Amino acid sequence: MTRSTRQRERETAAKQEEEEDSEEGVRECPECGSDNLVKSSDRAELVCNDCGLVVEEEQIDPGPEWRAFNHQERQEKSRVGAPTTQTMHDKGLTTTIDWKDKDAYGRSISSKKRSQMHRLRKWQERIRTKDAGERNLQFALSEIDRMASALGVPRSVREVASVIYRRALKEDLIRGRSIEGVATSALYAACRKEGIPRSLEEISEVSRVERKEIGRTYRYISQELGLEMKPVDPKKYVPRFCSELELTEEVQSKANEIIETTAEEGLLSGKSPTGYAAAAIYAASLLCNEKKTQREVADVAQVTEVTIRNRYQEQIEAMGIHG
Amino acid sequence: MTDPKETINIENVVASTGIGQELDLQSVAMDLEGADYDPEQFPGLVYRTQDPKSAALIFRSGKIVCTGAKSTDDVHESLRIVFDKLRELSIKVEDDPEIVVQNIVTSADLGRQLNLNAIAIGLGLENIEYEPEQFPGLVYRLDDPEVVALLFGSGKLVITGGKEPKDAEHAVDKITSRLEELGLLD
Repeated sequence: MTRSTRQRERETAAKQEEEEDSEEGVRECPECGSDNLVKSSDRAELVCNDCGLVVEEEQIDPGPEWRAFNHQERQEKSRVGAPTTQTMHDKGLTTTIDWKDKDAYGRSISSKKRSQMHRLRKWQERIRTKDAGERNLQFALSEIDRMASALGVPRSVREVASVIYRRALKEDLIRGRSIEGVATSALYAACRKEGIPRSLEEISEVSRVERKEIGRTYRYISQELGLEMKPVDPKKYVPRFCSELELTEEVQSKANEIIETTAEEGLLSGKSPTGYAAAAIYAASLLCNEKKTQREVADVAQVTEVTIRNRYQEQIEAMGIHG
Repeated sequence: MTDPKETINIENVVASTGIGQELDLQSVAMDLEGADYDPEQFPGLVYRTQDPKSAALIFRSGKIVCTGAKSTDDVHESLRIVFDKLRELSIKVEDDPEIVVQNIVTSADLGRQLNLNAIAIGLGLENIEYEPEQFPGLVYRLDDPEVVALLFGSGKLVITGGKEPKDAEHAVDKITSRLEELGLLD
């Protein structure tokens, strides 16, 4: 989990780092020139998989020097904290003073000490953010976290959203825009980047900003940051909508098939991906005798029935089936 | 195959000019027949000419914007009418105030359906903007000529931001050759 997050961080990080990375990646065998190098199972050697040459011996093992067999042991033996995260304004490297008024042995402390700890705690809270900029960042990141929780998207998306927001902040793109707006569009962009798109309607339901503003801010930051976002594939919506409608696998794969064949014929051009997916699901549910009404599908996909009817007509015509 | 350039049609020309002196729009609105002036709605006075059809926006500063004309000649013609009207109200207007064309909007038709998804990836995602969730057209910003083209799935396109009618022709040429290179025009 943390590993994949870090990999993603790397992708979005500065170019310089990317180059460093690729230098590491393109190592090839000095004997046969193949780049098919593998770490042997005991992790002490780097071996060419083609000619068998040992490229490196006695590699340093970056893993922990202790062994643990269950979660509790791991917790006890590990001497490090949680990995750093972009979703906190201080990357999670902070000092928190426990709220329990107890000393290291678990005894409760004297009232004098207790009020001292109270003061310390208060000041620690206050100096955690050193200026307004950091306070704003803290607010934005907590907004991202709140919306991501409400949408139920995984941690990795929050991490990516936070990185996008930080980049926007660094490039001074937030000036003149609302913090909430930029935070929301960073989350929208992150969802798409991670291949689990949420439509603007869904996003605006959990955001304090309206749909139009989110769209506008999103277009601006994706242009300025060069996010190179691919158009959303309607197929990405199919599993989620289908499970919300309690439709079977059969309907899902039929809907995917409809989308694939009709998109190839260029029917998708300029059409909203949610509406397109909704129509395909509706058509598939009819074909598989698990009929859902247009109303039901429309509600789940947050499009109108008219959109579904129109897309549905175009799709079945292109598929050559008569509904 | 017909040349897409032949389908180019100018839809709108916007030009600006000025008469070099401040105006009291309230009294101009009173004297000028057919003028709309509602400062709460819009700070300028709107005067519509019928032939050629266009609307001139006259501002307090004496600057005038003419929009809605279908060609550069029409812009000059309708602004000439506006100047004459102002002269009739004994407002001094130079003989030939400089008229600058600010924007020309043209439409054209490539004559075949476009697969915008493929075009978006073909033209390079950094050069284009395609958000079907928000707008059905694909926005393609060209550097030379400096215009913005909107491509639609039907094969029709709108070119805006040009200062000369030629800009649109160049843009259409460029777009068709780029799309042909990518093999997306068949």
